[in-house]
Amino acid sequence: MEPTRSSGAGSGNSGTYTPEIAESLRFEEEIQSLMRENTVHPSLEPPPATGGSSFTALLGLPANQAVELLHDPDSGDSPAASGGCEMWRFRLRDPKVMTLPSGCSPTFPSNASLVERAARFSIFAAEDSPEAASVPSHTHSSDHSPKPKAEPPDSDSQPICPIPGERPQRPAKRKEAEKGIKVKGPAKKGRSAEEGSAKVAEDNTGGDKLPYVHVRARRGQATDSHSLAERARRGKINARMKLLQELVPGCSKISGTALVLDEIINHVQSLQRQVELLSMRLAAVNPRIDFSGVDSFLSAECGRVAVGNGRGGVGMEQSAWMEAPAVNGGRRQQQQLQQQQIWHVDSVHPHQMPSVWERDDPSHLFNPGSSLLGYEPANSASLHINQLKTEL
Amino acid sequence: PSLPTLCNHLSPPSHPSLSPSPPLPPESKPMSAFHFLRALSQINKSTPKSSLLLRSRRIRQAAYVSMACRAGRSRLWSRALLRRLQRRSRLRYLISQRTRAGIAPKRLKVVRPRSGEPSRAEALRRLVPGGPGMDYCSLLDETAHYIQCLSSQVQLMQKVVGSISCETPQP
Repeated sequence: MEPTRSSGAGSGNSGTYTPEIAESLRFEEEIQSLMRENTVHPSLEPPPATGGSSFTALLGLPANQAVELLHDPDSGDSPAASGGCEMWRFRLRDPKVMTLPSGCSPTFPSNASLVERAARFSIFAAEDSPEAASVPSHTHSSDHSPKPKAEPPDSDSQPICPIPGERPQRPAKRKEAEKGIKVKGPAKKGRSAEEGSAKVAEDNTGGDKLPYVHVRARRGQATDSHSLAERARRGKINARMKLLQELVPGCSKISGTALVLDEIINHVQSLQRQVELLSMRLAAVNPRIDFSGVDSFLSAECGRVAVGNGRGGVGMEQSAWMEAPAVNGGRRQQQQLQQQQIWHVDSVHPHQMPSVWERDDPSHLFNPGSSLLGYEPANSASLHINQLKTEL
Repeated sequence: PSLPTLCNHLSPPSHPSLSPSPPLPPESKPMSAFHFLRALSQINKSTPKSSLLLRSRRIRQAAYVSMACRAGRSRLWSRALLRRLQRRSRLRYLISQRTRAGIAPKRLKVVRPRSGEPSRAEALRRLVPGGPGMDYCSLLDETAHYIQCLSSQVQLMQKVVGSISCETPQP
């Protein structure tokens, strides 16, 4: 019944406000008249009839204005009748006009605060707000509150309808409180849902920061679930990029994802190159080190310090690098043998026995084992020292 | 003689560069250093005659393995790294029992350029182990952790080299 009419009358959005104000004035008056018709109680039948016609007339007016009507929760029976609140929303800048839900009674909230807020918000730009304020106050000079037309955008205070109960909170999230008022109506659920979620979802999608207008250009958004998910994902990615920027030195100054990524890649590459260089240095320096006491020391330390390091990982570790350059199947059994030997010796951390490693000839296999057995009791003194160190 | 001093150098775990969010637990630092040192000692002992290249390569592998072990199994990149090293070392039997049970083997992941991410992410994927198997979001996460572990490993190795080269044989 109520046609969704894309407004031909939609004059330029940011254009003339005075005609819009005049129209809104007219609109308000019409609504007022409607309200007067329903003053007794929210009657469903008659109003829709008139409402429809008036609505269509009204629809013609504020084609490019966003107005949402909130149903007054006081009019509780209306939901029962109409199945919910009726909500209409005029979009500013958005030519598609909402459709009045059929069968919804145009019961308007008779709430003074609602009206005031609605008046404040509806459609008018910030600069026009004084006018708007004056206008509504002027038109609603009577204490009649029923200005349903303008819904306060922060309708959170008024859970208008039981159905869209959650919606009212969303506007609260919105920065531009001025805008729109959300009224959820059963028929408009689709659009309002989209709009509501879009409003909730992102405040900065809509490029324009015009105060008066409603919304965030949800026009680009597809469905709410998608955009919400995307938004969440983008937020996660941005958070992680920030973390990475902090990690990589000198990255915080750089702006732009591509350059930051480049910097990160460079950093990782430089770190890997450093590892290679250091390993070469270590290889060059190693022969100078006396590692005789290392085995016992390390094994003792491993035995003493209870560390929950992945033992499996350690075993893997042992085999991995030793076997990296060369592999010999025969050695595996010897390794296992060695491992078991050592396990008897040190039951605490059997996997960490270094004697598993060996390379070429079997003689090495047994040397570490024997050295372990031999060294452990002998190096108790050094072990104490090491214990102290490791406890740091 | 050299080792105690080495431990002295290494035991105080100080990594101011690491961000607080996923830091390596400091108490495992000495032990993780020990893993590496142990590997070093083993390598040094077992192959004194081999070429520099061979030893350096081994040391590098040891560094990566100890780094991955330190990171634990909960990280994608450490698992991928260890898997890669396993494959290289061809030592299946010892490792497979432990790892295959714990790690869900990742089938060949799609290599196509993923959507919604910058093109440079491919280069990052190549650098970070396990990259191709991740989505962009977790790639960033893993990269952060990987950078942390890499820098700590580099610091460790620098300390080792420093302490070793600083040592002068007693006259």
